[in-house]
Amino acid sequence: MLNKTLDFSKLLLTGNEAIALGGAKAGVYTAVGYPGTPSSEILPYLSKLNSGAIVNWSINEKTALEIAIGTSIGYKRAMFTTKHVGLNVASDPLMTLALTGVRGGLVVVTADDPGMHSSQNEQDNRLYSKFAKIPMFEPSDSQECLDFTSKAFDVSEDFDTPVILRTVTRISHSRSVAVFSGKFPSDTERKNTENTYKKDIEKFVMVPVYARKRHKAALERLKRLIDFSNGSGLNSVEYNDKEFGIITSGISYQYAKEIAPFASFLKLSFSYPLPDLLIKDFVKNVKNIVIIEELEPFIQNETASLGIELKGKEYFPQDGEFNPDIVLSGLKKAGFFKGKKTADKEKNAGKDMRTNISLSNPLPPRFPALCSGCPHTSVFYALKKLKVPVMGDIGCYTLGALPPLNAMDSCISMGLAFGAAQGLSITKSSHKKTVGIMGDSTFFHSGITSLIDAKYNNAKFTAVILDNSTTAMTGGQDHPGTGKNLSFNQSVSTKIDIKKIIEGIGIDEIYAIDPYDYNETFKTLKKALDSNNLNVVITGRPCVLYPKKIDTGKKFKISDGCTGCDLCMQTGCPSIRLPYGKTGAANPVPFIDSSCIGCSICRDICVFNFIEEIP
Amino acid sequence: MNDSTQNILICGIGGQGVVLAGRIISLAAFESGMDIKTSEVHGMSQRGGSVSTHIRFGKKIFSPLIPENGATAILSFDIYETLRYTGSFANKNTIIVSSNDGKTPAWTSKTKNDTIVNNFADIYSIASLLKDNFKSLTLLEDKRIAESIGNAKVSNIILIGALSVFTDIKENIWLKTIEKNVPEKTADLNIKAFLKGRASL
Repeated sequence: MLNKTLDFSKLLLTGNEAIALGGAKAGVYTAVGYPGTPSSEILPYLSKLNSGAIVNWSINEKTALEIAIGTSIGYKRAMFTTKHVGLNVASDPLMTLALTGVRGGLVVVTADDPGMHSSQNEQDNRLYSKFAKIPMFEPSDSQECLDFTSKAFDVSEDFDTPVILRTVTRISHSRSVAVFSGKFPSDTERKNTENTYKKDIEKFVMVPVYARKRHKAALERLKRLIDFSNGSGLNSVEYNDKEFGIITSGISYQYAKEIAPFASFLKLSFSYPLPDLLIKDFVKNVKNIVIIEELEPFIQNETASLGIELKGKEYFPQDGEFNPDIVLSGLKKAGFFKGKKTADKEKNAGKDMRTNISLSNPLPPRFPALCSGCPHTSVFYALKKLKVPVMGDIGCYTLGALPPLNAMDSCISMGLAFGAAQGLSITKSSHKKTVGIMGDSTFFHSGITSLIDAKYNNAKFTAVILDNSTTAMTGGQDHPGTGKNLSFNQSVSTKIDIKKIIEGIGIDEIYAIDPYDYNETFKTLKKALDSNNLNVVITGRPCVLYPKKIDTGKKFKISDGCTGCDLCMQTGCPSIRLPYGKTGAANPVPFIDSSCIGCSICRDICVFNFIEEIP
Repeated sequence: MNDSTQNILICGIGGQGVVLAGRIISLAAFESGMDIKTSEVHGMSQRGGSVSTHIRFGKKIFSPLIPENGATAILSFDIYETLRYTGSFANKNTIIVSSNDGKTPAWTSKTKNDTIVNNFADIYSIASLLKDNFKSLTLLEDKRIAESIGNAKVSNIILIGALSVFTDIKENIWLKTIEKNVPEKTADLNIKAFLKGRASL
């Protein structure tokens, strides 16, 4: 969209768009991944650039990385994108890929989520680079995202290693100016255009006898990479006041430059392996040094292992996302502002103004909620009424765990639900039948194997698949059930039928439901739960947002006589609201606003028949 | 942060057009040749919830996030949400708030007294509370202005128009940016809306 309006050479890009552009510039041949915030926008943007790359969503992160590995073995450049937790899924191939090395350059883009804006944990994937002995780049703005992605492919080939490019939410989803120069290489201009396939089992067949050699090679490579880290110019020193020094990387660098521009800086852009000589030199030249890094004390522990004890986590938190104010507060503790003027004067004025505001009640909380007309709503409403233990999963439907639905009891990892449902059901700790619930994209990602396991091990629970024909939470990406992908449109042969997969497993008790019919949904779920077999309930309504916004054209209203019993509000539908302001009524009566898309679930739920269609 | 840096905070609720407004303001600043950084919200924002976009532009920008109390202007799409972001307020802020009826949260329990929407002050008392405390606050009649030009949907462009008065960005750049970033057939309407907003202060 930006290309349409702007000169191509100077752009205002998000970090994710810049990574895509860097990949295109490097002549990436295959780009694959599984959607996950904050990484999801890289592949769609790369696809739109028409660079000639094959760009597609994969079924899960492990498969995606394996596709990238195959491309690399085929002498072409490959990029794999994932959110932080997705790298756990792909960690099996990653750890051994670190031994084999590459042919065509291979770059792993991991987008971490400090602060957990949209994630189940905030693991620091910089640790993967050390764990796997893989070099790592950490861009701090969009220009660096562009440049480093492109550079990472060169490093990958020059050192025969996969390379990690690690970004965070605040880099991936921030816009800044990036200058693009050059052009996308044509097929013949791409590096490693060699295309005569050759075997090399000592490099790519990791049986013990060859793997032992490759491990030694990886250790050797690490030594050469330390030299590169010292000498490539990627890691840079800015000397200012030599009383105060900051060692930092990524987004923390930007906060620190904002807050303490007077300090000397060692900026780590190529942050694994660390540039030992540069650090020793910096320590020699600057008196007081602190390390500023979000999450784990990664740089701090690494420098400590070089025999250099520096402070960092003594002043800065090890959890959550940083911002300029957290950095300021940490630097104050570290003595950087003794006798210095900060922006505090202005600040106090602001604080005074704030305390003037006194509210008799706190602000209303705004929980994220399932959309108006979301087909998941009726399933969770029914499960709540059925009072069954529900092992949940990751997607929009995780919102079914929150009030008022309160109908999900676990959310830990992608594809957990059916495995956990089997495990919970065999404990017999609840006298009710267990439910495992996940979406269609999650079922493809990692639900299929656990459903096979359930059948194999004779488990007895009810598996619910909320099939809304998209990967909704991350913005509506395609998956095998939609039959489409970034690089091709739907055809009969590419669309994979969930029901047929389940039949193939040998589960014959399968129920299809229309979640807009609440009464039928409740009855079917009850029937499935009353049966003592392993059975599956599949919902069949598309997401209301993707691929296109749905409006049934019907509108509903709450008619006169409603006593404000609250039942309809217990669906959590954002269209059913209470007015602001004191009405004086003990049970205020809600209204249905114009955002209603006419799903009719609330009409079925109102036992007093006070919700009616507007003719 | 040097003195010429402008820090604009846009706040509201997912779905109100916060993201598009942020896009237009940041592209206008970019077209003016300034260094710029923005921080957007993705993911959860589409599921309701409180959202904010940070836009910073000037000679040289480091942090994409506005430091506490560092906003030079606040553009609020929802009167209640304005209160949530008072932490970004400082003396010299320009604060422009839409006077649209506040949108109550998706769901609030009527069984827990402390979260009963019904107990919250109505938006008129919130408006006067804000006005009493923040001298630089403008409650913009964006809805009425939008209706006067015949389309309620251009509210967010009217708000941008009002904000534009407080930036160094030239009018022709604003107009060019709006024209490029709204659907072609609504360009004239949106430009009219922008100019109405710009003239309203």
